[in-house]
Amino acid sequence: MNMLALLRCEWRRLWVRPFAWWLAAVVIAGMAWELVLMLGPFLAQQSTLLASGANIGYTDLVLLPWLALFVIAVVLMTPLVTMSTLAGERRGGTLPLLFASGLSPAGIVLGKYLAALGWLLLVLLALVAMVLVLSLSGSPDWGKLGATLLGLVLLMAMLAAIGVACSAWAAHPALAAASALVVTLALMLVDRSSLQQGVIQDAAHWLALPTHLQPMGRGLVSSADIAWFVIVTALALALAIHRVGQEKDRD
Amino acid sequence: MLSWIWGRRQNRQVTENVPLLQLQHVGRLRAGRQAVHGLDLTLDRGQVLGLLGVNGAGKSTTLGMLAGALRPSSGRILLDGRDFVEQPELARDLVGWLPERAPLWPELTVAEHLTAHARLHGLRGQALRTACTSMLECLQLGDLRRRLVHALSQGQRQRVGLACALLHKPPLLILDEPGNGLDPVQAADLRTLIRDHAADGGAVVLSTHLLPEVTAVCDRVAILHEGRLRHDAPLDDDLSKVFMSIATTHTVEAA
Repeated sequence: MNMLALLRCEWRRLWVRPFAWWLAAVVIAGMAWELVLMLGPFLAQQSTLLASGANIGYTDLVLLPWLALFVIAVVLMTPLVTMSTLAGERRGGTLPLLFASGLSPAGIVLGKYLAALGWLLLVLLALVAMVLVLSLSGSPDWGKLGATLLGLVLLMAMLAAIGVACSAWAAHPALAAASALVVTLALMLVDRSSLQQGVIQDAAHWLALPTHLQPMGRGLVSSADIAWFVIVTALALALAIHRVGQEKDRD
Repeated sequence: MLSWIWGRRQNRQVTENVPLLQLQHVGRLRAGRQAVHGLDLTLDRGQVLGLLGVNGAGKSTTLGMLAGALRPSSGRILLDGRDFVEQPELARDLVGWLPERAPLWPELTVAEHLTAHARLHGLRGQALRTACTSMLECLQLGDLRRRLVHALSQGQRQRVGLACALLHKPPLLILDEPGNGLDPVQAADLRTLIRDHAADGGAVVLSTHLLPEVTAVCDRVAILHEGRLRHDAPLDDDLSKVFMSIATTHTVEAA
């Protein structure tokens, strides 16, 4: 129950922070603009596509590439949303107050994590609303869209966990954001060199984020990919909980 | 007037026949050195304990441990007979803490702050609304309720911090320099508040540098010096002499 109280408090703090609104507004407006830009060429070529009989529609040509762009936005936005969760609390001297209200380290981390994740999911919801509006004038491939959205939700959950973990370990929110971005980029690029050498089945490839995200972007959902996201998320949260637990022993 | 604040909640399950707070050989390392050494202390309901000491004596560290914000390196803290280190969740119902310089969330208003703290301490529904409204009234924060915390003066912030510590009617109240930034009238109100809390069966640990504040409200005085308890006795008329003697003697010894 205490954790839910912290979750509510965090939500309230996010709601009244101009930065969070500004960030969400920029991302949503940018994505809406991109969607309009991508729809233009598609509409211009629609009759040609129909005449050629190609089994490809606006899900493949517009929506999936558009949602792939959103991955970049998520990678950049998440560290900014999560950077203050624990590092800001520590700097403001309010972390001891949370301990003094009987919250466990796990309660503190989960309350903050769920609040940040909830905010990210709201942004995703705005994008889903755009897709739903488009679906009124066409029939998207719901299977592919569902798989892609699942991938995005798992990505957000994982990046939020990494962001909270970095915030737990960093002394300053800016450091937390930078380190979360570095960890994310490392996960995205870890298999780059082995891919260049033509190796696609090594440990680096398994560790790489695109290995598990890209299949979902093509409509393929496998339990191994979901498990990878769950493992990385759980690991990041465990590290954050461990670090917050040490806070009571710090000088 | 303030009796509503101190009414015990029915579900609190406070045991009446054991001391509210017991410290048994409590120690704490800080920056590689022993900040608090084997502290033994007992506090019963109805008592106000003044915790004195020069800067760096270990007062804030001790209060942090009593509030559950710091873990002792050694020893036990029993809160209402239960091991506080093993059960840190006891803090939710049993402890109210005002740290030095009242840390607050700057983006929230005063009213939002109180609501958030009330929820964190388990208050819900009507009980939450009543507690917040009464606390705003009691600490004269009504006019500030919609003001953002970062726009408050130090005295106002201190009162908000105090309201947050008192909201859930904790039996044990821990106050670290609560008079910081308060004007004389507010300081007098604070003394009344502390006395009322003790009169209603609560206990208070008060850390301050102001000896008149101690003589006005405390029954007992404990003096810490270099992390050790040098004095623990009922309030004495010659408190300032005792304090100066301990500070000087042990500083000279250390030199």
